[in-house]
Amino acid sequence: MKVRRPELSLLKKIFMVDLIKGLLLTFWYQRPSANYTEQYPKVRPKIAERFRGAPRLNNDPDTGETLCIACNLCALACPEHCIEVGWERTEAGKKALTTYIFDVSRCMFCGLCEDACPTPCLELTQEFELSLYGRRDMKLDRQQLEEGVQPVIYTK
Amino acid sequence: MNLDPIINYILIPLVKIGILFGILSLVIAYLTLLERKVIAFMQVRLGPMRVGYHGLLQPIADGVKLMLKEDIVPARADRLVFMLAPIITLIPAFIVFSVIPFGASSTIPIPAFTVPGLGWTYSGSMTGLFITDLNIGVLYVLSISSIGILGIILGGWASNSKYPLLGALRSAAQMVSYEVALGFSIMGVLMIAGSLSLVEIVNAQKNAGAWYVFLQPLGFILFFICGVAETNRAPFDLPEAETELVAGFHTEYSGFRFSLFFLAEYAAMIVVASMAVTLFWGGWLRPFPNVAFLSFLDYVPSPLWFALKVAVFLYFYLWFRASWPRYRYDQLMKVGWQWLMPLAIANVIVTAGVMLLLRG
Repeated sequence: MKVRRPELSLLKKIFMVDLIKGLLLTFWYQRPSANYTEQYPKVRPKIAERFRGAPRLNNDPDTGETLCIACNLCALACPEHCIEVGWERTEAGKKALTTYIFDVSRCMFCGLCEDACPTPCLELTQEFELSLYGRRDMKLDRQQLEEGVQPVIYTK
Repeated sequence: MNLDPIINYILIPLVKIGILFGILSLVIAYLTLLERKVIAFMQVRLGPMRVGYHGLLQPIADGVKLMLKEDIVPARADRLVFMLAPIITLIPAFIVFSVIPFGASSTIPIPAFTVPGLGWTYSGSMTGLFITDLNIGVLYVLSISSIGILGIILGGWASNSKYPLLGALRSAAQMVSYEVALGFSIMGVLMIAGSLSLVEIVNAQKNAGAWYVFLQPLGFILFFICGVAETNRAPFDLPEAETELVAGFHTEYSGFRFSLFFLAEYAAMIVVASMAVTLFWGGWLRPFPNVAFLSFLDYVPSPLWFALKVAVFLYFYLWFRASWPRYRYDQLMKVGWQWLMPLAIANVIVTAGVMLLLRG
């Protein structure tokens, strides 16, 4: 196949105009402000607000009690059935949360549980460092969920 | 006993060789880091950042890694040649440095002394910042540095594998088409300087009051293009061409032998840069060597001027690699035979004509 190229004029060829243009372009890219690299473990990236990462059960900031009303809607909404809500009746006849298991290994971070939650309790946070050593560690219990996944601080 | 011959002809050169070898190894190690950094910046990346401050210890880490890696020799390879090839490439690249002048000649005084009890005497001497001053220095550099390519060809052949063989083939063709133009491009300088000794050529530039690049601009451009082609660097890196030939001639090499090939490549880059500086950019001379009111520049030691100029050329090497795509095989031949050769010969003829007119 014959490739058609624009004909270069003789002067352009002799003085290597196009080559020098290329050199100047790469030279200009060396300025520090052009740099695009993110020093990831040292400098954490900015994550968008709408990003859906590690799940967290929020507590009431004033009283420190859980906001969860054990309505089980999240478990019903979950397409993967990875949420298990455990509750018991109080003396007043109200449901109270006892255990909460969230299997992150099966979670696809669709956010339907978050939408189903009638209180601001269940939230998919911006934390994205979710790797663990085994599948069995990925069933987060209530305490882990209330603490949320903490970002690892890298010193080196 | 007179110690003059022992000290002048054995001890001083040995010390110089030791110092030069040490500095050279360090420069080559950090040239690899500089290459990675410069190319990274040009590609809006950062390059090595983790080993030491901004990756400053990266060459050491790389060196340790290459030393500890397994040195594999393919089962069907020609063992002897396979093992010899990197050494054949490396040694010429290093011994070329013996004639390159790094600083002003005859500037370091060695004092005279006598050893009282034994009656040994030394009458003292002046020595310069070069190991030896051959009167055929330029020829020596050209001939020795072209041996290095032999190592590449042997390495590619001995690997008994397709890609290295193709790389070696390309290297051979490249050598044939660029060696001649390289020789012709230097000819103009030799005619003006009237000497083949590198020290004499720099001194002639001092006496002429101008670096030869201003008298031989075309010669310099041709020399540098051919030099880049000679060292197999981008855009003439066809013998190793990662994108087409895996790694070209050193595909089958690993560990220490691989690093020897790389040492040789970087040493050759420094040789070509030093030759360009010595022949065309006034070697160790400061800018405007004959302008009196700039004489304060003499306070900068002459090796520093030399190092500065060489560094600029090494930067150019890296700059080219980050900017230009590789030539195709036929384009390379076309550039070599259709442009560089005729231009280099024309340069010689025009220089000769002008010299005849001016000097009669």
